[in-house]
Amino acid sequence: MTRVIVITSGKGGVGKTTTSASISSGLALRGFKTAVIDFDVGLRNLDLIMGCERRVVYDLVNVINGEANLSQALIKDKHCDNLFILPASQTRDKDALTEEGVEKVLKDLSHQGFDYVVCDSPAGIERGAVMALTFADEAIVVSNPEVSSVRDSDRILGILQSKSRRAIEGREPVKEHLLITRYSPKRVEEGEMLSYKDVQELLRVPLIGVIPESDDVLQASNQGTPAIHLKDSDVAFAYQDVVARFLSEDRPLRFVSYEKPGILKRLFGGK
Amino acid sequence: MADASQGKLIEFKGASLAVMTAYVRETDAVRLADAMHMMMGGMPDFFAGEPVVLDFSQLAGAPDWVDWTAITSLLRRYQVQPIGVRHLPEHLHEGARRANLAMLGKEGMSAERPVATPQPAAPVPQPEPVAAPAPAPAPEPVAEAQPAAGNTAAPTLIVERPLRSGQQIYAKGGDLVLLAGMSPGSEVIADGSIHVYGPLRGRALAGARGDTSARIFSTNFGPELVSIAGVYRTFERGIPQNAAGRAAQVRLIGSDNQHTLEITPLQNDH
Repeated sequence: MTRVIVITSGKGGVGKTTTSASISSGLALRGFKTAVIDFDVGLRNLDLIMGCERRVVYDLVNVINGEANLSQALIKDKHCDNLFILPASQTRDKDALTEEGVEKVLKDLSHQGFDYVVCDSPAGIERGAVMALTFADEAIVVSNPEVSSVRDSDRILGILQSKSRRAIEGREPVKEHLLITRYSPKRVEEGEMLSYKDVQELLRVPLIGVIPESDDVLQASNQGTPAIHLKDSDVAFAYQDVVARFLSEDRPLRFVSYEKPGILKRLFGGK
Repeated sequence: MADASQGKLIEFKGASLAVMTAYVRETDAVRLADAMHMMMGGMPDFFAGEPVVLDFSQLAGAPDWVDWTAITSLLRRYQVQPIGVRHLPEHLHEGARRANLAMLGKEGMSAERPVATPQPAAPVPQPEPVAAPAPAPAPEPVAEAQPAAGNTAAPTLIVERPLRSGQQIYAKGGDLVLLAGMSPGSEVIADGSIHVYGPLRGRALAGARGDTSARIFSTNFGPELVSIAGVYRTFERGIPQNAAGRAAQVRLIGSDNQHTLEITPLQNDH
C-alpha cells in the first residue's frame, strides 16, 4: 500500500523543501520506491534542491491536464536509484490543481508500485497547501522554534484535521509528526530561542526529530544535493535519524544540547 | 404512508417554541446599523439564520414612523430573521404588518390563536467536532439577545482532540467540554458553561445567549479573552498571577447592571 506523506508547515521558509528532499532521499536509500512531488505551482524549487532543474520536461500540471503521462513527467534522481521527482509547473498557478487530478496522479503512482509518495507543500493555507495535504496518510509538520512559526504550524494542523480526506471520510486521522528545524541549542541555553520541549508542549504533536541550524543547508541547495547526502554534517545525521524514527526505529535525540566550550577552545577558536 | 388525498395536506397546531428576543431601543436604521456593526463587526455569521422577535418595550422615545424595510434588511444582513414584534406602540402596527411581521402578544404567542397542543421544540444539537459559527458580542449591545419561552438544554458537546488555531466550536443550547485544550487563536462558544481539560489559550465565550450563571473552567488557565453572557475581558496586562497556568474558574458576579467577571483559582487536593 502506498503511503502518502505531506511535508507542510503553514509558515514559509522553515525548511519544507529541504526536508522533502532529504526525507524522500533517505527513504529511497533504505530501498523503498519513493516519489517526491512539488505542489508549489508557479514557485517551484524542489527541482533546484534536488539538482534536476535542467531535466524538467513535463510537470504535475501537465499530467493533471492529460498533456503528458506520469512516466514522461517523473524524473529519475541522480543520487538515489529508487527516487523519482515530479516537479511543479513554473508557468501556471495553483488554480490548475484539481482534487480529481491530484487523486488520479496518486492512484497512478500507487499502481506503479511506489512505497512512499512525499508531497512537498507550499507555504500558506490556500489551494496548493490544501491539495498537498488532502490525500495524506501521514504529515510531517515542520516548525522553527519561533513563535510565528509555531502559531502557523498549529493552524495547519487544524486544517489537516478538517480538510484531509481521512478527516472528511471519518477514517483514521492523518498521523502527525513534528519536525523542528533550524535549532540552535546555544540560543536556547541563552534564553533567546524556544526549546524543542516548549514547541512540543505548545503543539502537542509527537516529535520526530530536531534539525540543527547549519551553513551546510545553504551549501547543499547551491549544489543541488539533498542535505542528507552531505558527508560529516550534523544536518545529514539528523535527517538520517528522522528517517529511522519514521520507520519506527528508536534513535536518541541528537544536536539538542549545548556545551560551553572549554577555556582552550574559547581561546584558540571553535564555536 | 398515509394516502395524501385522504389526510389533510396541511395541518395547523399550536406550539410553544423557544425563540430569541431582540430588545430594540432605537428605531433609527442608521444608528441601529452602527450598533450592529460595532457588536457583530468581525462575526457577521454569528446568528446563522436565527428567528427573532423584536420587542419594543424598552424603546427610547416615541417615533412617528419606522423604516421597517431598512430594519428588517439590516437584521437579515446579519443573518437574523425577524418574524414578529411585541410591545409595539399601536400607531406603528400597520407599518409592521405591511413588512410581514406578526403582532405577538405578551406571552410570545399570537394573541388571536389559542394554544392547541403545546410542543416544546428542543434545539437539536449537532455534535460535529468543528462546526462553523462566530465569536463575541461586544459589551454594550443596543439589541440584547435573551432566550424567550421554554429553553430545553441540549446534551453536552464533548471535543476530544486539541482545538487548533483558527478553529471555532459552538455548543448550542448546552455545555462544552474540551478534553485536550485549545491553542491560541482558537475560539469556543457555548450557551452553557465551558470546561477545558488542558490549556485554555484561546477565546472562550460562555452563556452566549445571556445565561449569567454560566461559567468557564480550566485546568490550565491562560486565555486571550473570556466572556460570560456578553461581559468580556481580555488580558493585555497578563493573566492574574494566582490563576495563570493553574486550575481556575471564571464566573459573573454582581447584579443586573453591575456584572463583573471574577477569576478564582480552583483548589487541587493532590
